[in-house]
Amino acid sequence: MRRPSNLLILAVAFLVAIAGTFVFGYRAGRYAHRLRLENEPIRSWMSLPFIAHIHHVPPELLFRAIGLEPVPHDRRPLRAIARAEHRPVSDLIRDLDKALESTGHMHPALRPPPAGKGS
Amino acid sequence: MGDQVLAALSQYGSPALFAAVMVAAIGVPLPVTLLLVVTGSLISQGVMNFWWSIGVASAGSIAGDQIGYVIGRWGGTKLVSKCIALLGGRERLAQAEAKARRWGGWGVFFSRWLVSPLGPWINFASGIAEYSWVRFAVWDVLGEVLGVVLFIMLGRTFSDRILALDAVLGDFTWAFVALVAALALGWKIWTAMRNRRKS
Repeated sequence: MRRPSNLLILAVAFLVAIAGTFVFGYRAGRYAHRLRLENEPIRSWMSLPFIAHIHHVPPELLFRAIGLEPVPHDRRPLRAIARAEHRPVSDLIRDLDKALESTGHMHPALRPPPAGKGS
Repeated sequence: MGDQVLAALSQYGSPALFAAVMVAAIGVPLPVTLLLVVTGSLISQGVMNFWWSIGVASAGSIAGDQIGYVIGRWGGTKLVSKCIALLGGRERLAQAEAKARRWGGWGVFFSRWLVSPLGPWINFASGIAEYSWVRFAVWDVLGEVLGVVLFIMLGRTFSDRILALDAVLGDFTWAFVALVAALALGWKIWTAMRNRRKS
């Protein structure tokens, strides 16, 4: 079998690199669009005040949602709280998601303009 | 492991930041960009101090880079072989060494923040290639401080959008790497075709 020429290999590599540029560029653009339009998911490394910050709700709401008394400087991540409370992290995340939904929480960028403003 | 490090940052702040960025600079795969972005978010929440965080993150990264360089240059054959095995093999190291020789200071500078996955390799390869320590240190400090300031500022600005921001930055880095590769390959193809026509 004849070996492909160096030029052919270079051409294939060039096309792969071009494809990579477009694929990753497109994905970066799509994520950049979502940067404004979607709420952040809750992760086990986040603390309750941190989640409250990214979801624009008072931290007390989240403490109460998982059955804890609000503590202003409690920076424990969810995984540490789950360990202390003998509950799976997924349970806590579910309760927090429910609490956020129940408040009708929406990121400021997603909120419709107040009545009387705009068309 | 990434989640544990982020949890430690969230709970302990600066000491966890210093340890994580230093270990990552030596070659342990940790989500450093996300760590810095989260630090920026914590700063905007008033949990961490801006200048202190920049100092701590820069110092940790630079210390880790210097350890990588020292291992490459003075670590001895056994230690170097161990680190090569840990990082993925001699072939990749040879590539990084060639890049370290070819790009010199710019390679060190850009691998601190723009193509950061290459950073530990460049540290190590710069040591093995006996690249001047003074030059390495100067480019290292410039690149690391720029990277730390850039990612912390981004995290501070988009403090409620850190995961989406991390995804944008990750894909942007790979798009940039692919674009540079496409330009280099395009140039090679063009010169090869020109030489063919001449002969």
